[in-house]
Amino acid sequence: MAPVTIGLLGLLALILLIAARLPIGYAMIVVGAGGIAWLNGPGILLNQLKTLAYGQFSIYDLSVVPMFILMGALATRTGLSRDLFRAANAWFGWMRGGTAMASIAACAGFGAVCGSSLATASTMGKVALPELRRFGYSPALATGSIAAGGVLGILIPPSVALVIYAIIVEANIVAMFAAALIPGLISVGMFLVTIAIYVRVFPGSGPVGGAEDRAAFWAATRGVIPTLIVFGIVIGGIYAGLYNPTPAAAIGVFAVLVFGLLRRTLGLRDLRDSVLETAATTGMIYLILLGAELLKIFMSRARVPQAAAEWAVNSGLTPMAVLLILLLALVLLGCLMDSLSMILLVLPFFWPVLSEINGGLYQGAEGSGFGMSTEDLKIWFGILALVVVELGLITPPVGMNVFVISSLARDVPMATTFRGVAPFFGAEIVRVAILLSLPALSLWLPRVIAGG
Amino acid sequence: MSDDAPPGPADGVLGRLVTLWALLGGGLLAGIVAVNLWAVIGGAVGIPFAGDFELTEMGTAVAVFTFLPYCQLTRQNVTAEIFTARASPRLVAWLSAVGSALAVVFGAVLLWRMSAGLMDQRSYGYATTILQIPVWWAFVPILISLGMLCLAAIATLRNDIDGGR
Amino acid sequence: QEYSFTLHHFLGPQAPAHSQMLEPWARQVERNSDGRVAIEIFPSMTLGGRPTELIQQARDGVVDLIWTLNGYTPGLFPRTEVFELPTVFENDIPATNLAMRALFDAYLAEEYQGLEVMFLHAHAGQGIQMVDMAARSPSDLERTSLRIPTRTGAWVIEALGAQPVAMPVPELPQALSKGVVDGALIPWEIIPALRIFQQTEYQIEGPNAERLGTSVFQVSMNQSRWDDLPEDIQAAFRDASNEEFLRQIGDVWRQADDTGIRIAVENGNQHLMLTAEEWASFEDAVAPVVERWQDEVSGSDIDGEALVEAARQAIADNATR
Ligand code: NA
Ligand code: NA
Repeated sequence: MAPVTIGLLGLLALILLIAARLPIGYAMIVVGAGGIAWLNGPGILLNQLKTLAYGQFSIYDLSVVPMFILMGALATRTGLSRDLFRAANAWFGWMRGGTAMASIAACAGFGAVCGSSLATASTMGKVALPELRRFGYSPALATGSIAAGGVLGILIPPSVALVIYAIIVEANIVAMFAAALIPGLISVGMFLVTIAIYVRVFPGSGPVGGAEDRAAFWAATRGVIPTLIVFGIVIGGIYAGLYNPTPAAAIGVFAVLVFGLLRRTLGLRDLRDSVLETAATTGMIYLILLGAELLKIFMSRARVPQAAAEWAVNSGLTPMAVLLILLLALVLLGCLMDSLSMILLVLPFFWPVLSEINGGLYQGAEGSGFGMSTEDLKIWFGILALVVVELGLITPPVGMNVFVISSLARDVPMATTFRGVAPFFGAEIVRVAILLSLPALSLWLPRVIAGG
Repeated sequence: MSDDAPPGPADGVLGRLVTLWALLGGGLLAGIVAVNLWAVIGGAVGIPFAGDFELTEMGTAVAVFTFLPYCQLTRQNVTAEIFTARASPRLVAWLSAVGSALAVVFGAVLLWRMSAGLMDQRSYGYATTILQIPVWWAFVPILISLGMLCLAAIATLRNDIDGGR
Repeated sequence: QEYSFTLHHFLGPQAPAHSQMLEPWARQVERNSDGRVAIEIFPSMTLGGRPTELIQQARDGVVDLIWTLNGYTPGLFPRTEVFELPTVFENDIPATNLAMRALFDAYLAEEYQGLEVMFLHAHAGQGIQMVDMAARSPSDLERTSLRIPTRTGAWVIEALGAQPVAMPVPELPQALSKGVVDGALIPWEIIPALRIFQQTEYQIEGPNAERLGTSVFQVSMNQSRWDDLPEDIQAAFRDASNEEFLRQIGDVWRQADDTGIRIAVENGNQHLMLTAEEWASFEDAVAPVVERWQDEVSGSDIDGEALVEAARQAIADNATR
């Protein structure tokens, strides 16, 4: 059997195993390991397992993941995420669907310091879900808006996914962060509009909720100040160049801890629970990362990505058509896989294809395939790819954000949550179209920063 | 996290041991936080600390491994329930048993292979760049974690089989 | 094909190392074997693991061939490290490649257990790249913080009275732009890929492109895979890695470095070639690094002094500039 066929059979097996309710990490590990053993014999696999897991778990840039999760856990117990939501609710709550809008705004705020979409969804889910239910929001809108809000974390810097993309294509991390900002804010705006439309199309799904009097409004708004300080130390430090994301995450953990202790909202029990929550989420994510690595090795050895790249280069399609096909492939893959796995698995093969079509690594704007230098293409494609990849977090059957929200709202069937997320998915497709037709939205800010 | 089965035996001797082990891993994570704080603050006041990078890498890896048994015992590994939402509880328990069995195999194979990895690391003398810490040191707590992962997976497996009867 | 090989490495497929060194080498081996050998190159760690694991992957036969940086596994190749030292490596890449070949059997071979080395090579050497300082003497660098390239590179920075800072290469641009470090010891060749010209103003080196040491890379095969090959296939590999090839890849790395500095200058950077006098003060300042290395390796029963002498001699014997 041709290796490529074995690779495609492997992907089919993965879908079946995941559908059969196997933990996703283990399903990926089994298919990846089994595929490598089938293609090249068990000896190679067994030898690689001597160091593979240690190597994977000790990646420096990933160390922000447990730290940001711990910070999120502490922030939740300190009450910071609750304050954030309360303030957002004071600003938006007077509108129909306002509390759902507040959830989106609070997710964006939390995403601005949290590198992980899952952590954002789960943290804000814990805070906002009870409120949304209390105000009588429909289960679909309540769970859907938080699952969707969680994906904002990917493009609002700092973001683990952005860092990993930058490493894979050797892009400047600062430029990537700058490029992501405007598209991220566009997404926030479009999500708010989506809710406004949703509550008009489905009356009763989102009532007017948190309208407050003037005093309560200012109290809620003031409640956000400590959060701003703590979060300002983290983001401000990164942008002022005092430290990189990992130390920033460490400082964030410390700042939240100090704040919680001063405020006396953090007890020993809270610390213990925060650590255990971090253990649970981190263990789950890293197991999937290990599965993704094994799957990547299997696919490389089966030459699936190489075959796809070769086909794209030899197809004679226009550059734009190839780009659209690649993005579509990412959307489809996103149905099956989680976002980090996709970035790690697919982009090392996709990026060289585009770069090749554009005219090579050092191609300037003049005479290039996409009408921009390869350096710009790197940034623009990164933003498009990450937007599309983040969609995978909310598409069935494997939508990690939806899983997280479902575990918080066990009375809401997962299918309901997927239905609630669908309008946001539509908004994201519109955003992709906007970013595709207006590259300047992604490229303007990095240019300004590089120039100044 | 999205597992509807009753939580595994998170109490009992094994449960307490696994929880304590995860908490120790959390303590290590706190240590990494401290190292990074030191690196930033120390760098600012002129007492820099050059080994933060490698300590972070090594410490995070060890900490993550300590989390795996806890993750297994409390059934935190995500599953997609969407296709089996209407399946009978017995079928779900048996499917879940397959997952637990896989975790047992995974833990055992990795324990075996990483023991061999430890021997390699020792005999070739792999060490970190600046502080020259032997990498095999990190493998010792990792092997303990993997042993505990096996035990935790056996516990959830027994629980699943009970549920399938 | 009768014999197929995987060649695994950590850089992208567009890096000169891939397109101008590894690809031509692999194709040459295939031609030498009359098509009986096929080598498939897997860039960007696509066969899994991290760059630091490449050596182990070759030893275990997880992959057949690797290209890696010796410095990723500090302490594993202490003898070869002599060629990375400042004042031992100055500016002559081909000569250093040939010198490593000349000394390999007598001095270096024993530290490559489980590996059959196809060839060792150096890059253009650690240049001084500064954000905003036109350093013309070691005292200018005192108290600055510089990113380290290798283990001995950290000693170079200490010898200059500066602060060594460790960080992965991809973080360098941000660290430079935000003042986390004031500069870095790293070749010009990385300038285009990381757009270092945006964050730095000065690229500084000696009057004849002298640098403060270099980094050594290896292409190696799994030992038992090699031992099982018939002689004519082994010859196909040996002939592709001959001395002419070592000279050629010296030129490849030189050109990649020249491209880097050209792009930096085109973007308005200052390329400082110090006077002989100025450069001598740098060489004096870093001379103790060689002694420090000799002391360090004597702990592992290596005659560092003899090795330094042999390395200097072999480089001089093969001098091309
Ligand atoms: Na973020
Ligand atoms: Na999905």
